[in-house]
Amino acid sequence: MPASSVIPDHRCLVTGASGFIGVQVVEVLLKQGEANLRCFVRPSSRMKRLQEVIHRYDAENRVDIVAGDLLSRDDCRKAAADTTVVYHLAAGFDKSFAGAFMNSVLTTRNLLEAFREVGRPGRFVNVSSFAVYSNLNLPRGALLDEASPLEDSPQERYDAYAFGKLKQEELVRDYGQKQGVPFVILRPGTVFGPGKRDLTGRIGVDTFGFLLHVGGRNQLPLTYVENCAEAIVLAGLKPGVDGETFNVVDDDLLTSKQFLKAWKRRTGRRFSVRLPYFLAYGLCALWEDWSKRRKGQLPPAFNRRRCAAEWKGNRFTNRKLKERLGWQPRVGMDEAMEAFLSQFDPATS
Amino acid sequence: MLRIAIIGCGKIADQHLLAIQRLADCEVVALCDRETLMARQLGERFRIANVFGDATEMLGSARADVVHITTPPQSHFTLARQCLEAGCHVYLEKPFTVTAAEAAQLVNLAANRHLHLTAGHNYQFTPEMCRMRELVAGGFLGGRPLHLESHWSYDLGDASYVGPMLGSRQHWVRQLPGQLFHNLISHGIARMAEFLDDEVEVVARAFQSQHLRQLGGAEVKDELRVLLRDRLGTTGFFCFSTQLRPGPNQFRLFGPTNSLVVDLISGSLIRCRSGNYKSYLTYFVPPLRSAGEHLRNSLRNVRDFLSGRLYQDSGMKQLIELFYQAIRANRPPPIPLREILLTARIMDEIFGQMGAATPPRPAEPQLNLSR
Ligand SMILES: NC(=O)c1ccc[n+]([C@@H]2O[C@H](COP(=O)([O-])OP(=O)(O)OC[C@H]3O[C@@H](n4cnc5c(N)ncnc54)[C@H](OP(=O)(O)O)[C@@H]3O)[C@@H](O)[C@H]2O)c1
Repeated sequence: MPASSVIPDHRCLVTGASGFIGVQVVEVLLKQGEANLRCFVRPSSRMKRLQEVIHRYDAENRVDIVAGDLLSRDDCRKAAADTTVVYHLAAGFDKSFAGAFMNSVLTTRNLLEAFREVGRPGRFVNVSSFAVYSNLNLPRGALLDEASPLEDSPQERYDAYAFGKLKQEELVRDYGQKQGVPFVILRPGTVFGPGKRDLTGRIGVDTFGFLLHVGGRNQLPLTYVENCAEAIVLAGLKPGVDGETFNVVDDDLLTSKQFLKAWKRRTGRRFSVRLPYFLAYGLCALWEDWSKRRKGQLPPAFNRRRCAAEWKGNRFTNRKLKERLGWQPRVGMDEAMEAFLSQFDPATS
Repeated sequence: MLRIAIIGCGKIADQHLLAIQRLADCEVVALCDRETLMARQLGERFRIANVFGDATEMLGSARADVVHITTPPQSHFTLARQCLEAGCHVYLEKPFTVTAAEAAQLVNLAANRHLHLTAGHNYQFTPEMCRMRELVAGGFLGGRPLHLESHWSYDLGDASYVGPMLGSRQHWVRQLPGQLFHNLISHGIARMAEFLDDEVEVVARAFQSQHLRQLGGAEVKDELRVLLRDRLGTTGFFCFSTQLRPGPNQFRLFGPTNSLVVDLISGSLIRCRSGNYKSYLTYFVPPLRSAGEHLRNSLRNVRDFLSGRLYQDSGMKQLIELFYQAIRANRPPPIPLREILLTARIMDEIFGQMGAATPPRPAEPQLNLSR
């Protein structure tokens, strides 16, 4: 059983349970012996990985799978009924602002309402993201922590996902303050591990048919999926952290150059073009100005804010997470990289 | 200054706002969505303060001249009727209504109230479609079009749309008589309707692609082929597909002398002229002429891009601009209402033949369908 929990006799709900991180959260909960677990998935969700985990822990009787859509208030009530802790991972990754907003904010509003009405609100763990920060006015190499400024112009950054996550956080805080729903917000950095093969956008862009590697010495805010899932689970169970926000990054972070080098060696993909940060920033600024002058003839996909957020290079810390939640990254960076890269081995793929 | 309001603050509303921002003498004064959060997020991003969660309230207080309705199709008829009754001109997104009977009622209502009405058939107003129209009007085909071909495709790779739709019978797309087709084929049909007479014979066949079967869409059809023939003998072929690659978006018009190919993916208009070439020249000259046509399009697009005339969604801006001009000058709207009605009737007919349950059609009111 978990070492500490907010409410005895609790029942946990995991949304986005079939997703990349969600499956790991379920695994951590099952590993801890969680007896009352509900997983929310969509009828169209790919269930294979989640089912494998449930099967591995012989937990078919302990896990209640509810299929629906968090955009439906009724489905949210089914999901939230009698739950005490909600791990809310479902989110909108749509490229359009409306689509991302719908699946990150409307869903969260529906779930919070249902949690209040038919749950037994102990804690709402909202999984947010580093995307909510703006480092536009932070110097290169400055420390980015929980107190750093948030993006105040997501439209200008042209980042629908960040917009959705920002508004989602606002909403959760609002429900916390006005409706008394206890919450914790987690902001993972770049989550990596088996099950996700894409290279993070923080390394560069492949929009133009080849990999444009931006920067190189910039540290990546990496967190291995298992470590991240453990932090999420702890955030639901640790007493005394209501209303707090935690960044989630691992120790011994790699630079984008180190990460790419390891990835290239393992995948056999050799070709990329390196673009120094200052040049990337100049090009992004030109693109942004052109886009403005031409009223969006080119969408402002490259702009100063995005360039800074992805490639400027800051330092990151997990101090608060360790001190307040007692979290430790159980899987070290070398082991984590090995697990991530092993999915590119011919036998595995 | 025209005062504009938008009902429905989902994905397409962004495009409307961006297009309207490019126009002079108009201002978006209000946004409305049943989900007030949706209206607020749009208002925040486009700096529009007046947001509503109820259309009646908005119509009562925003004093809009024109309302753009960008909601799911099931609400089009009721909302458009409400706006027309409130004295507003209406731009109604595609599909115009769920049934042709509803479309006819709206057209009548607008006519009785001397209000303007248009459908969101914006692809008919892309630069290449406008050039095609000019050529046809100038007699390039050598007479009226004898045969039309319209190819329209949709990529099911967009999991954010397809997944939830396939996963739930309650999804709004699944509730439409024509299901997936209903939401996607209007553009492809509307451009044919422009060149067809009002009485059209329709033969439609729908089936499921292997790809969709693999995605698990048990009851949903995603491949459609339609044959059309009007009273004057003009024939047409419509193909909607999710499996053809590269996904086509083409319109071909064949006349007694020449033909035209409009490719909306590459923004090209290819003129195909009849020619009589001696012997092997028939293998040498036409391909060269064809290459010349493609080169001309490519250069034109580069020029238009650099001069700022070519941009995404230029068709929508053009349609909205023409619609507003028609309102200001009290001229006929850019899309003749006859075409909107014919598009709706052809779609009704297609869905009827698909085997899906179409709601009973109330008797259609008598209409003057001339342009
Ligand atoms: N991956 C990262 O690097 C990263 C970094 C920082 C923060 N995060 C956050 O971590 C969380 C999980 O991310 P992930 O990487 O695991 O993403 P993921 O694999 O795409 O999982 C997201 C899940 O949300 C579900 N979902 C979306 N809309 C829904 C709706 N309307 N109703 C019900 N379920 C819905 C999806 O269901 P389907 O499977 O049916 O699509 C999916 O299972 C997200 O909140 C994300 O913002 C991720």
